[in-house]
Amino acid sequence: MLTRIWNLVWKEVIQFTRDRVMTTFIFLLPLVQLVLLAQASGQRIGDLRVAILDMDHSAATRQIVARLDNREELTVRTFVDDEEELRDLLDRGTADLGVIIPEGLSEELSDPARTAQVQIVVDGSNSIAASIALGAASEALASFGQARMEERGLTVTAPIDLRTVTYYNPTQNLLHFSIPAQVGFITYQITLAVASLGLARERELGTLEQLIVTPLSRLEVVVGKAIPALGIGAANFLLVMAVTVYYFQIPLRGSFLLLFGITLLFILAEIGWGVLISAISRTQQQAILLVFILALLDMTFSGYMVPVKNLPLALQWIAQVVPMYHYLNVIRAVMLQGATLATLWPRALALAGLGLAILSVAIRGVSQRLD
Amino acid sequence: MPLVSARRTLAILRKEFRHIRRDLRLLLLVTVSPALLLLTLSNIFAFDVQQVDIAVWNLDRSPVSRQYVAALTADGDFYVEAQAASYADIDRWLMSGRVDIGLVIPRQFGADLQAGHPVEVQAILDGTEPLAANQTAFALRQRTMAFAEQFSAEPSPAGGGLEVRSEVWYNRSLESLLSMVPGLVAIVLCMPTLALALALTREKETGSFEGLIATPVRGSEYLVGKLIAYVGSGLASALLVWLVAVLYFRVPFRGSFPVYLLLAAIYLMASMGFSLIIANFVRTQQTAMFLVLVVFFIPSFFIAGLITPVETNTLGSRLVAYSLPATHFIAISRGVFLKGLGLTSLELKILPLLAMGAGGLLISLMLFRKRLR
Repeated sequence: MLTRIWNLVWKEVIQFTRDRVMTTFIFLLPLVQLVLLAQASGQRIGDLRVAILDMDHSAATRQIVARLDNREELTVRTFVDDEEELRDLLDRGTADLGVIIPEGLSEELSDPARTAQVQIVVDGSNSIAASIALGAASEALASFGQARMEERGLTVTAPIDLRTVTYYNPTQNLLHFSIPAQVGFITYQITLAVASLGLARERELGTLEQLIVTPLSRLEVVVGKAIPALGIGAANFLLVMAVTVYYFQIPLRGSFLLLFGITLLFILAEIGWGVLISAISRTQQQAILLVFILALLDMTFSGYMVPVKNLPLALQWIAQVVPMYHYLNVIRAVMLQGATLATLWPRALALAGLGLAILSVAIRGVSQRLD
Repeated sequence: MPLVSARRTLAILRKEFRHIRRDLRLLLLVTVSPALLLLTLSNIFAFDVQQVDIAVWNLDRSPVSRQYVAALTADGDFYVEAQAASYADIDRWLMSGRVDIGLVIPRQFGADLQAGHPVEVQAILDGTEPLAANQTAFALRQRTMAFAEQFSAEPSPAGGGLEVRSEVWYNRSLESLLSMVPGLVAIVLCMPTLALALALTREKETGSFEGLIATPVRGSEYLVGKLIAYVGSGLASALLVWLVAVLYFRVPFRGSFPVYLLLAAIYLMASMGFSLIIANFVRTQQTAMFLVLVVFFIPSFFIAGLITPVETNTLGSRLVAYSLPATHFIAISRGVFLKGLGLTSLELKILPLLAMGAGGLLISLMLFRKRLR
């Protein structure tokens, strides 16, 4: 039995290495993804474009502009003459935020009996940029207001000072959050892509018939197809981990062996999904589109971007049976928090259980399909 | 002799539609899956925090500190999950995910506050999820300020201050869903594009391409026929996606529907132009899939302006972004849905898409004829 499986594995390896473009991409894809992600979320969001509608033309305006421009998040780009022009800029997306400085602002500021007003308008069509721009502009204007108060000898101190301390990632570097998740996601994609196409390809090209007439049993076919996928998935994990730790300098505070062991459990569970997709699709086109759908669904349920707690309750339950949800938890905990098996054993158990369940369903699916 | 014969193009078109129709699963995957994906993907950006579990280490135990905790949790968004007795407790619970934040109230909190001395409260955040941690800290700070107001030494002076009023256009309450759903329309419409790349390589891989070469159908007719069939099914899915956005997510649709469909067609043509070129260079569906993923889908997700505005990126990634059809369509879709824009305000986004579509088709026609010879 071992020789038969070994022969099948060897056939897969030969097939795999003969497709040069494919082998290149399997190892290039992860690197491209990591770099793109670092580009997208590495730097803080900065230089959102501000347009000023100045109806006061005074020293106060210049101070406000300087305070806005000093914020890392904002850059003052344009001055407009009326509200219509401002709306046009926001419509076309050439400005993200507008500040309207009314006529007579400087007089109102120096008159203790009156309250001066400044208005901010922000383009809400990109909510993330909008909330960052809005927060930065409000803070800049508030600090301007406070400076004006202090000039007149009024000091305002808050009675309760809330100090925040951030554990595990003191600088709140976004890369420490997104790159470990991306390592998990890359391992996932590659494993799933390789595992799901194995049988679908043989079926579409008609070579599956030949496999069936060999002495290989159903189980041996599945195992023979799974071993190369396991190898490729694990190799990819090691590659992206090396880049993550040595190039991106993301700390690995926990045990690497523990992480690697749990990663293998995760890869096995995903191979189960891949084999299942392979069994139910008739063509590679179907298999590939199904993998895409599954990947996007798993992205939603895994806490990849936002914590699973933010999802509706029904979706939180679904997340419990998604291997990626448990795995992303593990990889973040091991890398950033230095967690050990003492806190991680429920996750490891869940991954093993889910893997076993999915693999047995997949093997049953294959044996029905092959007959 | 005309470059493209309508009759033969139509024959390819019919063949393609028959392929899609007879393969029921493919039909579902091409037309229905974008709508389904939109339904679930929108949850990726559910940034609005629902419930925050806190661990409180109260060293003060005065009535004032209890009032403070009660004020924090009054509306049910914050929930006291556990009472800590040390930093180690908080560390352990943050790690196991039992709590999201630790709050340390110092000794003499109540007495100092009532005496008018400033006090310091410590919040311990979980840095493994900085985005969520920041939002939690923001909410906590607002509640703390509201509670602290009653202990303010003197009421803030009636006049002389600066009042800042803010207004959010196009998305009044700044809901992330309303901004993400129109943006994600561009992402989910990549599915028909991927399907086209696979359909083209599939004929090579399974050998049915040889049969097509032997027919009088020309390369141009073959490509145009395929393109029209997949743009057509893409439009059907654009319609479904629109229904999901408007009826299920209740995203306001302020633009005109014919304009939306027209621009969706232009977007599909532009992105399928890329598919045509990619399919020309690869022989197997597996490779085509990886190529579409690397050069198309993943960049569209990360750098095309869905999350952060393109203009704030570095020059290099900005250039990549502008050469992706999704970058332009994300702006178009948000413009048509939320801003109610028409063709004239969007011309700077539409022209690149038209150029990409025409360019992709032309290049693939040139490359393709050589292969047929």
